[in-house]
Amino acid sequence: MKKTTYRGIEKKQARWGVAFVVPSVLFFCLFSFYPIINAMFTSLFDKRILSLAAPKFLGLGNYIYIFKSASFWNSMRATLVFTLGTFIPLLVFSLMFATFIYNICGRRSRGFFQIAYYTPAVLSSVVAAAIWLLILAPPGLGNQVLNWLCRTPGVDRKWLANGTMLQFSTMLVYFWKYIGYFVILFITGLATIPPTIYEAATIDGSSKWQSFWRITVPLLKPTILLVSVMAMLQCLKTFSTQYLFTQSGGAAQDPINVITLNIYETGIRNQRIGRASAMSIVLFVIMLVLTFAQFKISKSDDVDY
Amino acid sequence: MTDKTIASNRSSGLLFALKRVPWARILIWFLLIVMLVFCVMPLVFMVTASMMPASDIIKMPYRWIPRDFHVENYVKAIKGNDGSFTFPRNILNSLIVALTVAFTTVLLASLTGYGLAKFRFRGRNFVFMMIMATMMIPFEAIMIPLYMVATGLHIQNTYLGLILPFLVSAFGVFQMRQYLLTFPGEFLDAARVDGMGEIGIFTKIVLPNCTPVIATLGILSFRGQWDNLLWPLLIVQDEKMKTIPLYISKFAEEKATDEGAMMAVAVLASIPMFILFFALSKYFIGGAAVYESRKG
Repeated sequence: MKKTTYRGIEKKQARWGVAFVVPSVLFFCLFSFYPIINAMFTSLFDKRILSLAAPKFLGLGNYIYIFKSASFWNSMRATLVFTLGTFIPLLVFSLMFATFIYNICGRRSRGFFQIAYYTPAVLSSVVAAAIWLLILAPPGLGNQVLNWLCRTPGVDRKWLANGTMLQFSTMLVYFWKYIGYFVILFITGLATIPPTIYEAATIDGSSKWQSFWRITVPLLKPTILLVSVMAMLQCLKTFSTQYLFTQSGGAAQDPINVITLNIYETGIRNQRIGRASAMSIVLFVIMLVLTFAQFKISKSDDVDY
Repeated sequence: MTDKTIASNRSSGLLFALKRVPWARILIWFLLIVMLVFCVMPLVFMVTASMMPASDIIKMPYRWIPRDFHVENYVKAIKGNDGSFTFPRNILNSLIVALTVAFTTVLLASLTGYGLAKFRFRGRNFVFMMIMATMMIPFEAIMIPLYMVATGLHIQNTYLGLILPFLVSAFGVFQMRQYLLTFPGEFLDAARVDGMGEIGIFTKIVLPNCTPVIATLGILSFRGQWDNLLWPLLIVQDEKMKTIPLYISKFAEEKATDEGAMMAVAVLASIPMFILFFALSKYFIGGAAVYESRKG
């Protein structure tokens, strides 16, 4: 008798739980699962936005087309170059500066540096790109500062005109915007390492350099891996900087025609939805592999003290 | 001979003194300050340039202190090149969209997170895994189907269209659930015994105890929309319904735009974020640190 009433309460509560969860579940079904399935489906058809004719079934035709097209491979190259060229410096410098700030600064100056490094991240990426477009313009600050540092007055570095420099410029904007964010991530990671370990190492005669490589890096490995995968996923999805540089800055598109820009161009400008969907699926698969790698790695590498 | 010893003595003394100088510390401070300059300089440039006439901005060398406040930049920024005053309207659009998304994300994510953390029902783990799985779907991969859905529903150029795909985020649900897992269930049971309804428990007990997560999540969602260029780019063509990122990219494209007005727009567009940042920097920094907890 008692048991049944108890079960009744449980059931009643369970109903509330379901009610709380249902709205989000519906949302995710409609705005995440349906679109990705739709994209997979559409990628098999020759579909255009405004065409009234029924879309023609192509099978893997779109995939074959994009894998043969130079523009797709150029986008893959641009995305890869951007991703590697951004996330490796981000990782190295943010770890370096986090260690500096953590070891050298007092509490006050630590807070100050964290906030100061983080301020660029407060700007939206469009504003960031707009500022850097002016800085990197031929008579802008970029040339002035570099020429002052290199003692070469009056040289134009062609930040936006030269293909290689253009790629570098987009990386620079991204690096500038996100360095503070990653510094903070690493400082949080560093704070979890118990100071007693360092004290023990110092007593045993370890130098700062040795402590860094033998203690900090191994113990921070989970954070490092997490941050690097996160940064990579972020970089793969970059769009705003490249869009503003090419649209508003008049920069050449080819060197920085990253995959998202290409999807946008193909799907919306050229109205080739099938092809754009095929590219989306390729991007999705790449990111899926990276995310799985992240889960695998972060599970196997947890540190206990 | 004696001269030499004196000299060597002197140099070794000097060497000794040099060794006492903490070179590593000085070098590190130097690097920290170089980085600081690199991070802050573009911001200072934005603010100072917004007060200068264009002829001063593109002059070499750049003068860091504006001669006087060139108000025309701001007037032009607000009026727009064609004098149509779309900028204030677009700021308003961005505010509406970002605030709504922040509100719905917090509401739905806390509701779902609470349901997943504190209730037992069949399929709970499956639902949780399903929501987590959506984190792996990048928006860039589903934007075109979403665009087709939006055109099908005829919600281009509306607030609904701008807001709908971002009502709640999987990451928000995850964050809320993790936070509420540690919330003592005794409180909830006590309230139930006292005859409080489930909705009352949620609004009066659960929500007030989640303020740190709510603040971080709210800020993350707000800035996500404040920053969003791609989705509005797809579904908004009407000047009046554009959001700030769209306005900026269009304004930068126009031939009539001069550098000063451009930077004035940039400053004005950043003010809301900076107010949020300086009022709630703890939660911004915390929001960055939240990703740390994802590995657990």
